[in-house]
Amino acid sequence: MEYVSPEGLRLDGRRPMEMRQIRAEIGTVARADGSAVFEMGNTKVIAAVYGPREVQNRSQQISDQALVRCEYSMANFSTGDRRRKPKGDRRSTEISLVIRQTMEACILTHLMPRSQIDIFVQVLQADGGTRSACINAATLALADAGIPMRDIVTSCSAGYLNSTPLLDLNYIEDSAGGPDVTVGILPKLDKVTLLQMDAKLPLDIFENVMGLATEGCKAVANYIREVLLENTKQLEYRRGL
Amino acid sequence: MRGLQLPLNQTQRIRLQRALEKLHSLSSKANSDASVTVADTIPVNYDDAFLKGHGTTDLNGELVATVCGVVERVNKLVYVRALRAKYKPEVGDIVVGRVVEVAQKRWRLEINFSQDAVLMLSSMNMPDGIQRRRTALDELNMRSIFEENDVVCAEVRNFHHDGSLQLQARSQKYGKLEKGQLLVVDPFLVKKSKQHFHYLEQFGIDLILGRNGFIWVGEHVEARDGMIVDQANNSEQSTVEKDQAYTPLEMRQNICRIANAVRVLSTLGFNVDADLIIETAELSSSLNIDIHDMLGSEFHVLVAEREAERRSLMTKRKR
Amino acid sequence: MVGLSVGEKHFIQGGIAQDLRSDGRKRLTYRPIYVETGVIPQAHGSARIRLGATDVIASVKGELGKPSALQPDKGKIAIYVDCSPTAAPMFEGRGGEELSTELSVALQRCLLGGKSGAGSGIDPSSLVIVEGKVCWDLYIDGLVISSDGNLLDALGAAIKAALSNTGIPKVNVASETSGDEQPEVNISDEEFLRFDTSGIPVIVTLTKVGRHNIVDATSEEESQMSSAISISINRKGRICGLTKRGGAGLDPSIILDMISVAKHVSEQLIDKLDSEIAAAEADEEES
Repeated sequence: MEYVSPEGLRLDGRRPMEMRQIRAEIGTVARADGSAVFEMGNTKVIAAVYGPREVQNRSQQISDQALVRCEYSMANFSTGDRRRKPKGDRRSTEISLVIRQTMEACILTHLMPRSQIDIFVQVLQADGGTRSACINAATLALADAGIPMRDIVTSCSAGYLNSTPLLDLNYIEDSAGGPDVTVGILPKLDKVTLLQMDAKLPLDIFENVMGLATEGCKAVANYIREVLLENTKQLEYRRGL
Repeated sequence: MRGLQLPLNQTQRIRLQRALEKLHSLSSKANSDASVTVADTIPVNYDDAFLKGHGTTDLNGELVATVCGVVERVNKLVYVRALRAKYKPEVGDIVVGRVVEVAQKRWRLEINFSQDAVLMLSSMNMPDGIQRRRTALDELNMRSIFEENDVVCAEVRNFHHDGSLQLQARSQKYGKLEKGQLLVVDPFLVKKSKQHFHYLEQFGIDLILGRNGFIWVGEHVEARDGMIVDQANNSEQSTVEKDQAYTPLEMRQNICRIANAVRVLSTLGFNVDADLIIETAELSSSLNIDIHDMLGSEFHVLVAEREAERRSLMTKRKR
Repeated sequence: MVGLSVGEKHFIQGGIAQDLRSDGRKRLTYRPIYVETGVIPQAHGSARIRLGATDVIASVKGELGKPSALQPDKGKIAIYVDCSPTAAPMFEGRGGEELSTELSVALQRCLLGGKSGAGSGIDPSSLVIVEGKVCWDLYIDGLVISSDGNLLDALGAAIKAALSNTGIPKVNVASETSGDEQPEVNISDEEFLRFDTSGIPVIVTLTKVGRHNIVDATSEEESQMSSAISISINRKGRICGLTKRGGAGLDPSIILDMISVAKHVSEQLIDKLDSEIAAAEADEEES
């Protein structure tokens, strides 16, 4: 199948290095301490953060840092073909773990000893790149909850099809069987915190694809910072003196 | 961006936008570069000595924010004042909390902090009001003072060496809150002031603005200590009595009106202080707006417009 | 569950007795309803409903399937509800399962009618394409994003809105096939079939606190309930389904009273909901 037309356009009309439309909204779950919606094209994810609060299960309490937990779940209607999956299948467990580890790396957990932070991400629509969207949504929700962090984490994926590196794969491109590189970075520190790839790639091409994904992360980071800054200003001027 | 979760029609949307823009233009802090987000560099003069405070960290010799908020500078101290966050206790703060556990010689309270706070039996004024050692009998009777789920008002005493937060309730004004409702708002909306207990005489109700964002609106109670004595001695009798005595309707209307005023201000993200709450409640009754309709879109827009006007008058006066 | 002190419980009960609830509502007043349609573009129809801090999404997806041998002239409709942990940390892991099942079954009972399909809000025979061979299977999924009481009414309203929003592609059967062969079908990209949603009932839950009934209880009020009756009523005022929850027994005559109250409330609710749905649809087309 042809994923990039001779004119250099992808199936959904994007250029190879073009990202889908991204959109973020802060504060969508009324009762959570922090929450956000993040959209990348048709992929739509809600994240809610509860905490830091007293550890619910005392035996899990850590005396010098916060306990970070994460649960990822997919709505029944999120995929193209409706599937009813049991909760806690292996894929969700793995993604929960990835998100938890990624977020834990940037939260300053030592500032909140003996407390617990819960991150819940709910996929409303899956159209490729859910992993990245979840991490971006979780970052926004944590920032909204006022949890101190070293840096924001942003994530984006890239792939390689028809000998072309492609940024931000959608579901059709993702299921084409080509390599799919998901990268998560700390933009300020300029470090990679998450890197996953399936399938094989020659090293020099891998470098290209990873570079492309990293550029994508930076673009997401710029957008997230804008949203956060605007939100902060709004909170401040609304509150008044 | 934090959208208001309100259904607005076209004109309401424009009016609200206009009011918020006005608020924006009036605010001094938001227009300057003082607002920062996570990982923003905070400009400081590195030649001068400075102290890095809350919400900042050192990254390769640069001062960087760790939370979203507003940069504040006090003498040499540079810190980021976080906006939306969990409550950050300060010694002397008045807080409202809910008892989650009655343990040995102490109560544990949920106060919207990263841990539960501890109120020791020894930090309580005893019902008889006499300073004395706590006996084993007192310990057995702890539940007659506060039991699980009770709403309690207290003061932040200190941080213990193990990091736990200690409260105290050594005055008549502290203690159990009954006959009313508890509201939860974002703690940054409640400013520290001289007065957190308000007796709104015109309404006959008590308003307690906990610094932790827990706000109590309830019937006015005269002597709090008297109540505790009551509770301890004839708790059985009082529960029987209570069954008949509901809050009088007029007072309940006032409580609900004030409570809804708090809800409106908190949804709009405005400062929740006593004057503004009363003003908002009075605005609603002067316009003959039904108590429940206060939570509708129209009233939110009205309050936003009113607030924009009020603040612009205030800045003019200052000039 | 929400923990309330004795004083607060008493305050809530008193408010209900005096017909002035904590947020200023009367006993039979709903919170403002906010409807948004088309929130899940990948589904055939979807809607989001907000009632105070309660926030739910419903989506409708059709899949081609085969009618069951027992009812060859009817399509299948299934309703599933999920409680997202974003709504409350206690829904984490399997924590929300019990509530999800309770809500799913209650919704099926209230909206889908009996096994034969009689009394269903959507006529299952309208889903058949070739009798005995091809039909639409309709999957209705609800998701609770934020919870502040009265989930059943909110979900019922969301499903009604989602069904009004639903367009199922028109299916053309290629040619007459004989015997047991599955006929070839062709799903149209352009033509969509709309459902007649006027018959879909709304659910009104009456929560009994003390001696009085309230509608649209918040979770704080729900914690004070002695029992609750959820009644689904359509525009004609017919009862389509009924569920009683909660421990305390009710006098039969009281139940009849409650039904007539619910019927009265449902008229306003249907009007309100229909106009909100129409407004939301108009909004969606605009954008």
